[in-house]
Amino acid sequence: MHFFNQAFDYDHPWSHVIIGMWRKYPNPKCSHVISVDVLDRTVDPVTGVIRTERVLGCKQKTPGWILRFFGGSEDAYVREISFVDPINQRTSITSVNLSLSQFATCVEHIEYRPTSQNHTSFRQTAEVQARMAIWRTAADGLERWMVQRFEQNAHVGKLAFSDVLHQLWQERQATAAV
Amino acid sequence: MADSLSEACTPLKQAYDTCFNAWFEGYLEPAVAVRNQQNSREVYAKQKAEEFEAKCGKLWVSYKSCIQGALKEKGIDDMLKQAREEHPLKEAVPVPSSPSK
Repeated sequence: MHFFNQAFDYDHPWSHVIIGMWRKYPNPKCSHVISVDVLDRTVDPVTGVIRTERVLGCKQKTPGWILRFFGGSEDAYVREISFVDPINQRTSITSVNLSLSQFATCVEHIEYRPTSQNHTSFRQTAEVQARMAIWRTAADGLERWMVQRFEQNAHVGKLAFSDVLHQLWQERQATAAV
Repeated sequence: MADSLSEACTPLKQAYDTCFNAWFEGYLEPAVAVRNQQNSREVYAKQKAEEFEAKCGKLWVSYKSCIQGALKEKGIDDMLKQAREEHPLKEAVPVPSSPSK
């Protein structure tokens, strides 16, 4: 099992970050994400919480031995559930891989909360775990590859989302100033 | 705006996304503003939920029927079914501070 975590602040108000969240892709810095689909969305009429289920389609170079050993293809799908809670000003996102999930799971948790009027904290964890009943060396190799891929995507994800937020709110400020 | 996993659904998806994004922007900041007043909060949430349905409901129905067909065609529906059983995620999950096991 591998555990990953990181945290930092975005220099934008919480509401701006959450409005921007739906516009993160397509993104030249995250070119591995090629599709985003909404499968379910509910607005709770009492709490105002919006729950959204999405599927992200990714295309990423996969080592030949993984394709040979586990099957699958370079197209991978991830299921993501998000909760936007305006009362508690909290957004929680959980993502789990669909592809190769019979062999290993990568469960990611993200949370956005305001730290001040103009700053939003981002916390992210991920656990990568091979399921038991597979050959040990292959399981370790698959885990390692998933961790590397996750870390690489987490790194570009931050840069990519910073660009989107910067561009979105910069443009609006410019329009408002005219 | 991101494409759908099915080329045929992309236009329907983008129409729905555009509708949601416009509604969401009008929703979020007032929702935060009334968060401490329970009565106004509930009136607002209910009214906005209905408004979302009225504005984007039809676009959603078309997009949904397209994407569900595509999920089946690509064999993603079985993986989804299993994932939903394993992690229903009906409630928000706090970010764990350490590994679960």
